[in-house]
Amino acid sequence: MTTSSRRILIAALAVVFGLPLVLLLYLSVSTQWHYPALIDHPFTLQHWHWLLQGHSPLVASLGLSLGLSLTVGAVATLTGFAVSRLLAYHTRSTYWLLLAYAPYVIAPVILAVMLNVYLLRIGLTGTVPGVAMAQLLITIPYAVLFFYGFWNERIRSMEHLVRTMGGDAQTVFLHAIWPAARGLLAVCFFQTFLISWFEYGLTQYIGVGKVQTLTVMVFRYVSEANPYLAALAGVLLVTPPLTLLLVNRHVLVQRIWSHKR
Amino acid sequence: MITLRNISKEFGSEQVLHDVHLTLNKGDTLAVLGASGSGKTTLLKIIAGIHREHSGSIHVGDTRIDPLPPQKRGVVYLYQEALLFPHLTVRENVGFGLSVQNAPANTQREAVDAMIRDMGLAAHADKYPAQLSGGQRQRVAFGRAAIIHPDVLLLDEPFASLDFDTRNEMQQLFTRISDAHTMTTLFVTHDAREALRVGDRFAQMRDGMLHTYDSRRAFIEDAASGVQSELDFWTKIQQEIAADSSPQ
Repeated sequence: MTTSSRRILIAALAVVFGLPLVLLLYLSVSTQWHYPALIDHPFTLQHWHWLLQGHSPLVASLGLSLGLSLTVGAVATLTGFAVSRLLAYHTRSTYWLLLAYAPYVIAPVILAVMLNVYLLRIGLTGTVPGVAMAQLLITIPYAVLFFYGFWNERIRSMEHLVRTMGGDAQTVFLHAIWPAARGLLAVCFFQTFLISWFEYGLTQYIGVGKVQTLTVMVFRYVSEANPYLAALAGVLLVTPPLTLLLVNRHVLVQRIWSHKR
Repeated sequence: MITLRNISKEFGSEQVLHDVHLTLNKGDTLAVLGASGSGKTTLLKIIAGIHREHSGSIHVGDTRIDPLPPQKRGVVYLYQEALLFPHLTVRENVGFGLSVQNAPANTQREAVDAMIRDMGLAAHADKYPAQLSGGQRQRVAFGRAAIIHPDVLLLDEPFASLDFDTRNEMQQLFTRISDAHTMTTLFVTHDAREALRVGDRFAQMRDGMLHTYDSRRAFIEDAASGVQSELDFWTKIQQEIAADSSPQ
């Protein structure tokens, strides 16, 4: 590919991915943008003022979504990592591994309907822990499948080597597992965070409208035909994943053990 | 000294090791020859404590080690792949075992410097494994094992993936370091010439049984070992090359 065609491709990709973000930002500072006007005039920061002064319910939704998704991402990643090791080293792992596919064979909404019976009985329907538990039932199997292939013969040999050299469990983790796993842990955390962050059907069903995550709020404003607040919520919705994407890209791209070190 | 008594091992219905007996004195290098699937690696893994379910007993000196976990046995297992720690430099890799044992900093530094010199790695001491060749990585792996003076060192075809020259060089290095440190070693290989070169005692694993030989001559002369036929093969090749290159 020539330099000029690469530039054209980059520009096209920037337009395709950047334009919706620009539109969101633009809508969030508009109040009266109607067809056929090309732009709204004058712009207003009233929605942003409302948000920054803490009067908007979006502030609470942002806090709730961050807390929920960070927790779900962290718990799913760590649990999936540990469970995948147990499964990989188990002689009959195939049968257990099939179970991990169950949430993906059944649609999440169907799963929510099935789960709700149990969550109702234990009083978790309509609560944040109930939604978190439901989301973990999707994200933990995802993390297990994600990490299953990590526990290959090389990692096992490294573990054995450290053991025979006198290392305890902590030394095995620090020198045989962590250096190889840390990039994958970051990626898995990012992906399970995203699954939780953008989850709508399951969250709405188990949360019964009481657990108002940012994703739920965006859908609410859209259904209320309020594109300006939907855009404001949308900007908030895409900011954390974009930030995490940038951080993750840094983790993946840096060649920690390369010759450059 | 290491002693194996009545070691047997099954994987499901398959008997992999049959009643293996062995006594190896301090400083001995037993070269174990055997085809793929003959049970060589299984035997090493049992001694190292990686496979725990087996019958029989293993003693190092007067201590029975088979009930002990791998980290308590004083047995180090070296794989065909060097398996260096990618996040540590050559110096840190070589000193790994000493740092695990919490050896004093001065002792560690002196021992690591001496081992790095012995291994011919002084120019590479601050490099990372990714910056080393295959032969250099094996040197580091060997130095990392030798520096902690294990009671028994197990080598599972450690030079199999190296080219001819590097392999030759590593065999010489192994013999020199092994003699210098009076190491007790089980060296598994499928190459008869390598076995003859590195061993001072010899054995062959056939159908899960360990056949030991009192001398190099006995090892070569036993038709079942296949060593003589392999040597004959290479002699014949040499003769053919010599005949081809001689003036007509």
